[in-house]
Amino acid sequence: MDELLIKSAENPNMYSHILSLLIFLPLAGAILLLFVRNESFARYWALCITTLTAILSIPLINAFDRTTSKFQFVEQVDWIKSLNIQYVIGVDGISILLVMLTTLIMPLCVLASWSYIKTRVQAFMVCLLIMECAMLGVFMALDFVLFYILWEAMLIPMYMLIAIWGGPRKIYASVKFFLYTLAGSVMLLVAIIWLYIHNGYSFFIPDMMWQNYSSTAQIFLFLAFFLAFAIKVPMFPFHTWLPAAHVEAPTAGSVILASVLLKMGTYGFLRFAIPMTPEATMTLAPAILWLSIAGIIYGGFTALAQSDMKKLIAYSSVGHMGFVTLGIFVLNTAGVEGAILQMINHGITTGALFLCIGMIYERTHSRELRDATGVGKHMPIYVTFLTFFSLSSFGFPGTNSFVGEFMILAGTFEHSIWLALAAIPGAVLAAAYMLRMLQKIVWGGTDNPDQSWIKDLNVREIVTLAPFLFFVFWIGLGAQPFINIIHVSVENLLNNYHGFHGQVIAISDLIIQ
Amino acid sequence: MTISFIHPALIMIVGACLLPMVRGPFRKPYMFLVPLLTFIDVIYLSQHAGVYGVFQFMNWELTFGRVDRLSMIFAFIMSLMAIIGTIYGMHVEDEWQHVAAWFYVAGSLGAIYAGDYITLFLFWEMMAFASTFLIWARKDEEALAAGYRYILVHTFGGVVLLLGFVLRYQATGNLDFDQLNVSSPELYTWLIMAGLMLNAAVPPLHSWLPDAYSKATAIGAVFMCAFTTKTAVYTLIRSCSGFEILIYLGVIMAIYGIIYAVMENDVRKLLGWEIISQVGYMVAGVGIGTALAINGACAHAFAHILYKGLLFMAAGAILTTTGRQKLTQLGGLYKKMPGTMIFMLIGGLAVSGLPLMSGFISKSMIISAAFESHLLWVGFALTLVSAGTFLAAGLRLPYLIFFGKNNCSEETWEKAQDPSWNMQLAMTIGGFLCIFLGCYTPFLYNMLPHTDVVFHPYNAYHLSETIQIMAFTAFGFFMLRKYVMPRDTTSLDLDWFYRMGGRAFLWTVKNPLQWFDNVVGRFYKTVGINCLMITSAFWSWFDWNGIDGVVDGTARCIRAIGRRVTIVLQRGEIQQTIYYTVSFAAVLLVAYVWL
Repeated sequence: MDELLIKSAENPNMYSHILSLLIFLPLAGAILLLFVRNESFARYWALCITTLTAILSIPLINAFDRTTSKFQFVEQVDWIKSLNIQYVIGVDGISILLVMLTTLIMPLCVLASWSYIKTRVQAFMVCLLIMECAMLGVFMALDFVLFYILWEAMLIPMYMLIAIWGGPRKIYASVKFFLYTLAGSVMLLVAIIWLYIHNGYSFFIPDMMWQNYSSTAQIFLFLAFFLAFAIKVPMFPFHTWLPAAHVEAPTAGSVILASVLLKMGTYGFLRFAIPMTPEATMTLAPAILWLSIAGIIYGGFTALAQSDMKKLIAYSSVGHMGFVTLGIFVLNTAGVEGAILQMINHGITTGALFLCIGMIYERTHSRELRDATGVGKHMPIYVTFLTFFSLSSFGFPGTNSFVGEFMILAGTFEHSIWLALAAIPGAVLAAAYMLRMLQKIVWGGTDNPDQSWIKDLNVREIVTLAPFLFFVFWIGLGAQPFINIIHVSVENLLNNYHGFHGQVIAISDLIIQ
Repeated sequence: MTISFIHPALIMIVGACLLPMVRGPFRKPYMFLVPLLTFIDVIYLSQHAGVYGVFQFMNWELTFGRVDRLSMIFAFIMSLMAIIGTIYGMHVEDEWQHVAAWFYVAGSLGAIYAGDYITLFLFWEMMAFASTFLIWARKDEEALAAGYRYILVHTFGGVVLLLGFVLRYQATGNLDFDQLNVSSPELYTWLIMAGLMLNAAVPPLHSWLPDAYSKATAIGAVFMCAFTTKTAVYTLIRSCSGFEILIYLGVIMAIYGIIYAVMENDVRKLLGWEIISQVGYMVAGVGIGTALAINGACAHAFAHILYKGLLFMAAGAILTTTGRQKLTQLGGLYKKMPGTMIFMLIGGLAVSGLPLMSGFISKSMIISAAFESHLLWVGFALTLVSAGTFLAAGLRLPYLIFFGKNNCSEETWEKAQDPSWNMQLAMTIGGFLCIFLGCYTPFLYNMLPHTDVVFHPYNAYHLSETIQIMAFTAFGFFMLRKYVMPRDTTSLDLDWFYRMGGRAFLWTVKNPLQWFDNVVGRFYKTVGINCLMITSAFWSWFDWNGIDGVVDGTARCIRAIGRRVTIVLQRGEIQQTIYYTVSFAAVLLVAYVWL
């Protein structure tokens, strides 16, 4: 198994324990915050810790070796010896950008909650920090038990974020979110135990990949994975927890949900479903592709009908994530690379849109589109930001989503022209619902409510939004560095996948002869 | 020698971004300076043909600056129109209109210089969105709705284009924006052509044009009439010249547009219909595809931008001062707006192709090309349409606005006057160029892309033919003018066609054509959007009641079962609990023994 890893312990340097540091720094910060009873301190402290984590994560990108698909910065310590459970973490091209997305977005979430959260500020910040710890752990874990623990652990702070600081129907939304996602991952546990037994009692994830499990076992494993990950993505028709959770969650909660949590489902497909059950993937991919298309169109239509802005963005996520699963399951370079890029793009753009809606909500205390009509007149800076993020959301050329969607569409065309044709109306619908919202917010109609008292963004809010805008254009205009990071890992994944099928076909030919 | 390449679109974009910061007395000189710099840049580039601004973007090579004779002439007229349009709108305080207009110009220039489909698409979308803001900037309910329809249609067109070139990329591995193989068209050829055609407003993809242009702001319409359709003509020349179907579509467009222009009551809608008709000439020229026809299409686009800009400026002047744009609410304004009247007359005569005007030297090229290619019916049809054009824009429009019966309300009459100096200056430049081009042909002809064909518009036959047609049309108009009075609807004026004797024609117009346009128009306006919204509402309802109903229903069921179980099983009566336990154990035992 060692040939899959680049361990930092063998040649100790400044990066030896960087991943652990990233995971545990927020946790340590959270524990310390438990003993403090000062709200203003809690805010600054959380900002400080998350910013520090973000800064510490930046050297990762430089030190990351783009020429290998092995796991890097690996740390390996025995944890529960009797069950052969290890604390082993590492990143490769598929996960590193998601790690970066998480660390960079957290300080902005703290900033977005600065004045939005007025009660139990310390508790809120503790939740955010624990959340960060768990999310980073999920993307780094290379031991399936460690992964599963963190995967489930994430639900608790998120549940609290919605249930304590949420909107009027917060209990309904939080319980629904919790039970729905928990129910999905129950079968994942069964799959983990099955894999544990069939892999010489090891939970080490890379060991489980590309093994010759029987076809029936693969199908069941895949279905278990699918249920867990499809609910998390969420794929149509498992998406209904999402609008409920988004609408009730506080702004920071929505941003974390949209930007990071949803990515875990698609990350799961790439990390577990495809490498561990390649045969089942091949069998079931067509169904998933059409489910993705259904999600794209369905998300578009439902988003167009919403009058609640947060719901609108939530449904748009269903459509956008449909593009991501589409890209993953066409299983070619353009598609998968586009999908990973689009995961990042969606994190940036939709996160920013939720921040924008949150900023309106702080002013008007309403998420209804009709209460926000025509605010553009009084908030020129705000609408400038909103315009760019909206353009990005429906893939305007020159913005990040265009590159991602274009690559996904190119990959889909390679796979099947009918699929690509079927996805096209989704792109038009995306423009329709985003522009409908933009038009109402910027101009409204003749009967706009009186909003002359509304103030434009303050410096803190501009600072919160500016990094998103920066990335919108960076990825939109120069995506190559990002592609370089993921390229080798994706190639390796696809080579293994197609190689695996080559092998299977060769064997079956032999049998026939 | 390497020359420093500064993309003209970049100047416009940077200029537009800085515009809101330039205030007070600097605003007007600045607004003049930026388009002027762009224009100078375009002229500078036209001295240095070549390929510039090549960037590597992921796996693709993007070409931002392909400078050749074809892109030069279009860039020249576009940047010139940007100057005229900006001067025309200088008095407008709303800086966002100017920003949108400049982005719009930048989109057009970028598309013209683009050497590959991705770059083209980038600027194509920039044009679509910037122009939408020009419609929305008028801010009334109708403009907002029209803008929304407009952008949806253009997004759709953009997606079709995207689909086309991605397919082509799959098939050929090539993203270069060049002549397609139109002799054996593939699916992608049709898709690319359809995407481009939508912007040229070729029927049946035309309804957006009169709808949107009549709702835009005064300066918005001046910009819009110049850029979208003519950039589309440029892209069609670049990629689809010689595509035979374009000949038919072009002729249909020319006829179709002029019929509606003759009947229209709304001044700017009338001009919009006429754009469709005139672009029909160009599209037909592209379809013919010979050197002369392509030259004709370029020349006509060049001339068209100027005279149509002039007409829209004059219409905008009337709209700005009186607030009215319906013929039934105007009339007899020559006393109050003599300047505007002269410019509208110049524009109207130029579009009709009066000798010594710009339309004459460009339109006749396309018609000659049709005859030269032995497409007699095309030549005749287009000649006939010019009679209709003269009727609609050269006679009826000025007559009804400036002479004829005065339908102005007292308020309108009070407000009517010649517009501000900058608007008049812009119209003067436009008017001058319309006449200058017609009188001094080498100015335009030397810019045309094909240098190997020579064309002389001023020969005796051509002159006499044009003058005869115009004279007859004018005679007919003054004899029958009371029958072409506007109605406050868009319905057909039956009498007029009866008098013209074309019963069959009338029937064609009235039944299939009118029906078809009603259907297309209504579909575009109401069914399109309403259907979309109703479908959306249905799926949203379904999401809440269908899918989520199942989810929440399951949860409720489980909770109910849980309650029932508690009520039934856990009553706290010890005998009953023991009874249930024992029976359950017995069942298990029996099952174990038997199985």
